[in-house]
Amino acid sequence: MPKKKVIFTFTPQNVEKPVTYQLIKKYDLWVNILQAKFEPGKGGKLVLELKGEEEQIKEGLNFVRQIGVEVELLEQEVLWEEKKCVDCGACISICPTGALFLDKLTYQLNIDYEKCIVCGNCVEACPLQAIKVTF
Amino acid sequence: MGVERTYEEINKKIKKGEAVVVTAEEIIPLVEEKGIEKATEEIDVVTTGTFGPMCSSGAIINFGHSDPPIRMQKVWLNEVEAYAGLAAVDAYIGATQLSENKEVEYGGAQVIEDLVSGKKIRLKALSSGSDCYPRREIETYITKESINQAILFNPRNSYQNYNVAINTSERKMYTYMGILLPKMGNATYSTSGQLSPLLNDPEFMTIGIGTRIFLGGAQGYIVWEGTQFSPEPRKIEKGKTVYRGATLAVIGNLKEMSPNFLRAAIFKGYGVSLFVGIGVPIPILNREVMSYVMVKDEDIYTEIIDYSIPRLERPSLGWVNYKQLREGKIKVQGKEVITSSLSSYAKAREIAQKLKEEILRGEFLLQEPIQKFPQHGEFKPLLEIR
Repeated sequence: MPKKKVIFTFTPQNVEKPVTYQLIKKYDLWVNILQAKFEPGKGGKLVLELKGEEEQIKEGLNFVRQIGVEVELLEQEVLWEEKKCVDCGACISICPTGALFLDKLTYQLNIDYEKCIVCGNCVEACPLQAIKVTF
Repeated sequence: MGVERTYEEINKKIKKGEAVVVTAEEIIPLVEEKGIEKATEEIDVVTTGTFGPMCSSGAIINFGHSDPPIRMQKVWLNEVEAYAGLAAVDAYIGATQLSENKEVEYGGAQVIEDLVSGKKIRLKALSSGSDCYPRREIETYITKESINQAILFNPRNSYQNYNVAINTSERKMYTYMGILLPKMGNATYSTSGQLSPLLNDPEFMTIGIGTRIFLGGAQGYIVWEGTQFSPEPRKIEKGKTVYRGATLAVIGNLKEMSPNFLRAAIFKGYGVSLFVGIGVPIPILNREVMSYVMVKDEDIYTEIIDYSIPRLERPSLGWVNYKQLREGKIKVQGKEVITSSLSSYAKAREIAQKLKEEILRGEFLLQEPIQKFPQHGEFKPLLEIR
């Protein structure tokens, strides 16, 4: 089944809409909350991983857009400048999902983008500023 | 009596392109397969390598004299202060000095990397003026081509062994050992283990003052034992010997070096440092030298230290070996902890490989130490005397 990572940006006006409930109930999607940041009176951001039929995901996202929530697709969430990277591994142990790892043979850094939840821990841990997060 | 080789014999073979050279990693399966006697007979040189953040680094620069001349008393390079309490136009730029403007984002290490990369560096100098040096101020740009000398001189590099850092406190810590998550959420270490120069010759049978080395991509030299040199091995349980306190003071021509092997680093919340690439060739003079060079990660131990106690003596949480650390997980007080290396094993390997190739091509000859390192050294604390 296809998976998609998305960012929903809420305004104070639509922050109380039961978006995830509808995605699950109406569009039969698996919803995995990767990150959520809300401030009282200010709206907020929700980073989700959606799993379901291609058509259902599309319709679900259309529904979210219709109620005024901004939808961004996370295609390349973490930018890793391989040229700057020295393969030290400082980023590995602060990654909560094990998305960063050293290859067992070459000891060079690898990123499993599937596992990445865009938490940004690696950005501050990298001594070479070789990793950036796009949002 | 086994094999005995001299530096002269090895250098003769290198010049003829006949020397047999392997890295400190390649030697391990070779000795396991052939046995130590046979391996000693066959191998002439074993190359080591390390690439990690080494704070005690810096460069001596001679800018050349301006007209009218100035005796520089205060010097800034890209707004990072360099020490100018030397002759008129000499200064020492230290790797960890922070920019007076951009705070923690830029420092001496970045100046050094920019200089090596051929970038223009803004120089500002002040003086009180004198009869022989009337000028009181100068602002200009320098490059590595415009200046007379740029000499990398690092008082303490290539730590033999370093502890593992862990944090038992409730808060996240920003340290020179990287980010340490609360409640032992991770652990960091910084040694190339079985490839590390001083762990492959822990008794300094071949490494000493005068040894020619790979330094930052060029050929450099060991000029002294490094600061805080304290080579006494420590015995831990089951008769294991832990070597850890030796260090190297190294020197080389910065102009010949490469940003591939000299890289500025920022440790968030701590400051800046310089990744330095060092490789030391070890001549296999005899069986005893080989017996140390064949060391492997699982035989090299290091201590887990709790960095949440900001005191000189910090608590030890036990010992682990580099095989465990490199596999990515260790057990500390019953808890599984994920590890990170701060020194790059891939780069250490690249350096050992590069050094091997230079020797094979006859471009790198071995230099016998002019003087041996001392066997003892005291690691003294600084007392507050009132």
